[in-house]
Amino acid sequence: MDEKTLAYINLFAVLGSLTRLCELDGDCKKMIEGKNISIGIAVKDGPEGTIWFHDDRCDLIPGVGKCDIKLPFGSCKKFNGLIDGTVTPIPSKGFTKIGFLLNQFTKLTDKLTAYLRPAEGALDDPEFFTISTTIMFHLILDAVAQIGNVDKVGKASASYIVDGDVRLAIDGGPEGHLHAHGHALTAVHTPCEHPTSYMVFSTMKDARDLFDGKINGVAAVGTGQVRVGGMISMVDNVNRILDRVSMYLA
Amino acid sequence: MRKVYEYPRSRAAFERACKVIPSGIYGHQGPAEGCYVPIEAFPLYSSKAQGSYLWDLDGNRFIDYMAAYGPNVLGYNDPDVDEAAARQRAISDCTTLPNPVMIDFADLLVETVNCADWAFFAKNGNDVTTGAVMTARAYTHRKKIVFFKGYYHGVSPWTQKIDYAGVLEEDVQNNLYVTWNDFDELSEVFEQNKGEIAAVIAQPYMHGNFADNELPAKGFWKKVRKLCDDTGTVLIIDDVRAGFRLDIAGSDHYFGFKADLICFCKALANGYNVSALCGREFLKIAVSSLSFTGSYWMSAVPFAAGIACIQKMKRLNCPQLLIDQGTKLKNGLVTTALKYGYDLHVSGVPSLFYLRIADDPTLMLHQEWIAECVKRGVFFTNHHNHFINASLTDADIQETLEIADEAFAVVKDRHS
Repeated sequence: MDEKTLAYINLFAVLGSLTRLCELDGDCKKMIEGKNISIGIAVKDGPEGTIWFHDDRCDLIPGVGKCDIKLPFGSCKKFNGLIDGTVTPIPSKGFTKIGFLLNQFTKLTDKLTAYLRPAEGALDDPEFFTISTTIMFHLILDAVAQIGNVDKVGKASASYIVDGDVRLAIDGGPEGHLHAHGHALTAVHTPCEHPTSYMVFSTMKDARDLFDGKINGVAAVGTGQVRVGGMISMVDNVNRILDRVSMYLA
Repeated sequence: MRKVYEYPRSRAAFERACKVIPSGIYGHQGPAEGCYVPIEAFPLYSSKAQGSYLWDLDGNRFIDYMAAYGPNVLGYNDPDVDEAAARQRAISDCTTLPNPVMIDFADLLVETVNCADWAFFAKNGNDVTTGAVMTARAYTHRKKIVFFKGYYHGVSPWTQKIDYAGVLEEDVQNNLYVTWNDFDELSEVFEQNKGEIAAVIAQPYMHGNFADNELPAKGFWKKVRKLCDDTGTVLIIDDVRAGFRLDIAGSDHYFGFKADLICFCKALANGYNVSALCGREFLKIAVSSLSFTGSYWMSAVPFAAGIACIQKMKRLNCPQLLIDQGTKLKNGLVTTALKYGYDLHVSGVPSLFYLRIADDPTLMLHQEWIAECVKRGVFFTNHHNHFINASLTDADIQETLEIADEAFAVVKDRHS
């Protein structure tokens, strides 16, 4: 597993999921009410991005130019250590606002972990299941883009993806697409009007089972649990990247 | 209006299969790799086959243009081939010592195939493409193999790509990839890998999926042949898919050059399981040196079937017959499409035609039309080239065109 790719996934997909968390979870939404604060993460030889809580929402924007609190990391491995809980970050800027980092931000990331790694039985609660699966869906979309752009093997898959948009959706649930241009992938978290190809899960449960490795994508096409169409070579290659998502997020 | 097929028995069988077989039907004959879009439009299992027809579990009859993805070259259950196989089966098949029918088959291939001085037998196309690459490496003592992007040479790890499940970077690290028909790029790759390239492996023309099939540019093969000669590189033609549907003497002969090694399977024995690697005299010692064999590679029944198949293909002038029938179908389909304002592209050699409605680059419109054809009894696929077989009659072509017409009407109506 490549530490650099993992760092990109951890920043743009895992921490990027805070945006969805603050949209979907009422408690989290409340926690950031009235806040206007940004946390910049700068990883040497790796990703840079700013998590910005403002106007009762959260956005992740590239770069760290205008952040209130800055967390520098000397390597991708160290940043990945923050995510797996083995590294404690030391801010280089924003000491006066560190309370947010230690309180609300920590609570938000704990909640995010609860949704991403649900405790036994947690998914039996329909609301929790829906939020968890929706967050997971968007996280995977982001992770696919990062792997396709950074990981050596993922880049090989992306090199076979023609220009266009791959629509990814769950019937009656979340929807997004991967925009491919010049073999670079961008995750877009809004519906796609004119997809070049599509992969649509029939139900939230089918999608969840696929995410959790309980069913196989090839088998799911046969049973109709997953619908694919259009320029299927794009979907094939996205699927090869999807296989690597589970390796990075395991 | 024709009856629109439904497949409850196929679906039930598939559900049963999913419990005991990974993904129900794996590989190219399964719904995922077979690109069954939508899944409800396609049958999943056959109950019987005869000539150009295939019946599914629900009793629906299809004119089958996939021909088992190639093996059915004379027609399902061809009486001459089946009789030869039955005769041999009554004598012996899989035995400790091979039956001399193996020599008869090799003799026939050497007599038939332009570049063949010998024949080596196995079971699947993948066996002989692998044997060819091993032979080239054994002969040249070099590692690297040049592929043309969009290739398909089987399923062994060396034929796959770095991102395929179960494939290691090390499995493909000696693979070099160049653009089909780009001789300058090929020359540059040779220049960058001087003295390291064991072989160029290629299909006789580019019949990749999801894209129009592309014939060799004028003079391309002659230049490739010369480059290989000048650099001591083995030229391998993977004729597994196209073999005997272009030229009974091999597709290299059709395009006016001579391969060093040529791989056959599909049309070799009309569905009996045998493949053949044929080659030139100078590689005979190298191929003899390989440790490369299999439990069923010398079974006699497929050899007898192969002899009968090749003899019949010669009697029928099969490649020309297939090209002629393919041309009739191609012209008819293009005209039918035009009637509805659709631009149907038919590419490749007509005996192996590839279809694509060019009005929609996403292929979704094309997938809709293919689905409507299948639901009315013409088994086309939306991603792969098709295969004409010798039992296809003019009446079959006429019926195909009528179904294609109805399918175009349905699609047109849906989008107007």
